[in-house]
Amino acid sequence: MGVVRRLLHTTRVIRARVKGLELDPAYQMTCGLEIHTQLKTRHKLFSLSQNRFDSTPNSNISYFDCGLPGTIPKLNPEALLLSLKAAVAMNCEIATMSSFDRKHYFYPDQPLGYQITQQFRPIAKEGEIVLRRDLDGISEEYKRIRIKQIQLEQDTGKTLYDSFDGVIRIDLNRANIPLIEVVTEPDFGSLHEIKVFVKKYQTLVRYLNICSGDMENGAIRIDVNISVNGGNRVEIKNLGSTSEIQAALESEYERQVGLLKEGESVEQETRGLRGDKTVRLRSKEDALDYRYFPDSELPLIRLDPGITSQIRNTIPDLPDDMILKLSSAPYSLELRHAKFLVQNQEILDYYMKLFDIVVNQHGKEVKYVNNWLIHEYLGAFNKLNILMDLTFIPPETLGNIVTLVAEKEISTASAKQLVLNILSDPSDSGVSITELIEKYDLGQIKGVSSDEIDNAVAELCSCIAEENPDVIKKIRKGKKKAIKHLIGLAMKESQGKVDSTLIENHFLAIINDHKNNGE
Amino acid sequence: MRLPRTHSIAQIEGITVFRRGLSTRADEFNSLISEVKSKKHLSEKDSVKPLSGTSFVAKDNIAFPQGYTTCASKALSNYRSPFKATVIQSLEDAGSDLIGKANLDEFGMGSSNVESYFGAVINPAFANEKRIAGGSSGGSAAAVRSEASTFALGTDTGGSVRLPAAYTGVIGFKPTYGRVSRWGVIPYAQTLDTVGILARDIGVVKQVFNAIDQHDEKDVTSIPEEIRSDWSGLPKLADMKNTTVGVPEEFLVEELSGYSRQVWYDTLNSLRKLGCTIKQVNIPQIEKSLSAYYTIVSAEAASNLSRYDGVRYGFNSTDKPGTVHDIISRNRSSSFGQEVQRRIILGNYTLSSESGDHYLKATEVRKMLVKELNQVFSTQHMLFSDDKPSSSGCDVLISPTYTSIPCTLDEYHNMNEENFLNNYINDILTVPASLAGVPAISVPYQKQNTPEAKIPEAIQIIAQHGNDEFLLDFTKELMMRF
Repeated sequence: MGVVRRLLHTTRVIRARVKGLELDPAYQMTCGLEIHTQLKTRHKLFSLSQNRFDSTPNSNISYFDCGLPGTIPKLNPEALLLSLKAAVAMNCEIATMSSFDRKHYFYPDQPLGYQITQQFRPIAKEGEIVLRRDLDGISEEYKRIRIKQIQLEQDTGKTLYDSFDGVIRIDLNRANIPLIEVVTEPDFGSLHEIKVFVKKYQTLVRYLNICSGDMENGAIRIDVNISVNGGNRVEIKNLGSTSEIQAALESEYERQVGLLKEGESVEQETRGLRGDKTVRLRSKEDALDYRYFPDSELPLIRLDPGITSQIRNTIPDLPDDMILKLSSAPYSLELRHAKFLVQNQEILDYYMKLFDIVVNQHGKEVKYVNNWLIHEYLGAFNKLNILMDLTFIPPETLGNIVTLVAEKEISTASAKQLVLNILSDPSDSGVSITELIEKYDLGQIKGVSSDEIDNAVAELCSCIAEENPDVIKKIRKGKKKAIKHLIGLAMKESQGKVDSTLIENHFLAIINDHKNNGE
Repeated sequence: MRLPRTHSIAQIEGITVFRRGLSTRADEFNSLISEVKSKKHLSEKDSVKPLSGTSFVAKDNIAFPQGYTTCASKALSNYRSPFKATVIQSLEDAGSDLIGKANLDEFGMGSSNVESYFGAVINPAFANEKRIAGGSSGGSAAAVRSEASTFALGTDTGGSVRLPAAYTGVIGFKPTYGRVSRWGVIPYAQTLDTVGILARDIGVVKQVFNAIDQHDEKDVTSIPEEIRSDWSGLPKLADMKNTTVGVPEEFLVEELSGYSRQVWYDTLNSLRKLGCTIKQVNIPQIEKSLSAYYTIVSAEAASNLSRYDGVRYGFNSTDKPGTVHDIISRNRSSSFGQEVQRRIILGNYTLSSESGDHYLKATEVRKMLVKELNQVFSTQHMLFSDDKPSSSGCDVLISPTYTSIPCTLDEYHNMNEENFLNNYINDILTVPASLAGVPAISVPYQKQNTPEAKIPEAIQIIAQHGNDEFLLDFTKELMMRF
């Protein structure tokens, strides 16, 4: 449902928000990101407890996760594989030797007293994500955002402050969930580029099944580094949505520009977002010394020099390639629909199956596939206001319906009605299409001569025309689209059994007749 | 999860009750922290297993689910481990019976076994005076010496099994790093921590070692099967006559007492009589070992002990309010002993960004030391196969185990007040084998046909990485000739 809404309204929403931050050309903003991305593994990074976010507190923890003495970490190879996929997808150089380090600080949700991360020898370095004017709507033709490094590390637990009873609760379910931290170079020139980048990154990790990509439950969390006119760098920690990033950047840019205008300098510090303003968390002087040192309980990760090509062979076309593929023949989707499919793997899979049935097996035109999946089937969920669940009508069934429409065995209107009926009555989903057509009496009228149908339709149309003189008048004055209203009424009256072009022709005849009479 | 409230005093008193329940003989030396009730009935006939009929105590930094696992620290005085260390499981599988958890220097930090939350261990080798048992596995050594158990498990980080064994007159064996599982062994400095065996009889040491010398997939530092099978091709001890014994010149340090010099000299003499080739060797990195060792252990300890914040388990100071950092800081300050706090501070300084890269430099010393040992020994280090062994190399190296004899408790306290570094110097003979991860054993030295010496004398024998069997066979032969 949410997905469908997004598809139908996306462009409008983004345009409404884009204007927000106006950069003053005299104050150049430099900005880089650190993106913490939870990996979609079955188990945690160094233990066998499950990696799930939706469980009761402290139910997915092992002895290691809560830091019991005498436990020893063991690297989960699935997490390593996903981090390598991400590295290859971002065109990084994979280190043939990398290792883990300990980053020390005390916090109740940090059960070891340190986080296991990769400070000295990260898994990958020096990659890029390229933003494109045609696909991402940026002003330049291409914009390269360099990736400085990718490191594999543990997530921490969660601390929940209850101000009502003054108790601190700690949930260690998240502790030791695998993360990759992706660090970009400060290559962003505008807020728009950052938003486009984040969206693109989200699509990439989702598409490759590296991460759920959901910012709302913390699977992706972002730190932003921002400086103005080459001044000191300020880090804003832990932003959990694009709107938070926007608020943080707007408020921080304005704050820094304000300081510079007053002739003051910007202090190097770490800030957080409270409401829509950034607030100081700690200054440079209070900065923690993390006392990094190699974690000798974890062996070095040594990789075959051919690992990059091996991994590349396991991953499908990357999202940009896939969007370009879908938006050209034989798929010929609109660009925004191609992007939508790539952002929603499940729908893309469905689309490919439907395409195979309708185009490859039945030799129908691709426009039927594109129109029926995107507008009719997905649109129907929206219309009925029910949660999207593609299993209601399997691709085979929808393929049948679409083929029948293409062969004019049933009218478009009947088919639409059929889809709505199946969605509103789940018991229909098991029944064969022929039976359903029978059940709802949706078949094209058969065994009646076309003259008889023609006469009946002519009668129906003139009745409707008489009942709606104002509509007719409008059309005559040039509002040609109003004819759709009349066609709709006629379709309803005939229960969609009559081809709409036939109805339209009759109305056109009536309208032209009026016109002629009038002149 | 709420921040746990302070555990009641009753729980801590529970330990005292435990300790009161101990047999008077064990209690006399304060060797045990808690007793483990035997699961075996005396009538049970279980004689088919290799260690049937034996009993053992385990140092209290080795996790066991019954009772407490305290590390002799107030910080873990109420801690019950939900799981069992692999090494204890292996011994139980082999038919031995755990009867107690032994006293130690808090978290293994010390070489006297005075720095324990449960009090100092008294050396059973001295009849009428209170002398230190050595540490940090002092409780294990005292239990074996006083015959409370057949053998004991200790841990050796820089000599913690060998030194107390030497001071109490028993055998103390530190195997090659990685041969015995560390799963369930609470780390002090994990790149050095090695489970060791203390016993009165070398045959027992060998049998126990056989039972615990196994790969453990739960411990990533456990040596894999492939390398273990390579070791089976190592030369066996054929005849003492054909062995070459190395004497590292660098062990002849100023602090070495005349007493220890004499023991060393006597041993070499005996070996010469047996037909061994005695060879002086040079291992220059030994001189840098002590400072490298203290750099590494304090850094690793500071890191490993960060988890004891009293939040999830362990000692929790009060119900007094405060920020989370106040609570953590209060818990730690009030539950770690002086020596532990000293090493944590030292370690945190070592790791701090402004102090430089001491840890990495110390690691370089370790690498160089291994390289030098490879040039001295006759066989290859399996983990550094690019160094080729020399055909005229040594089979074992020999030195005394300690520089000076065990002091009295009073002397210890006076010395410690004067300069706590005094206690660090005694480790100079034992740390090189730890840094290199090679096997080493301390054996009581007693001349034939002489009455039992008043002060236990001991020598240390060191072998190449993986040559544990050779070392034990050599030791057995040597002990038969004493």
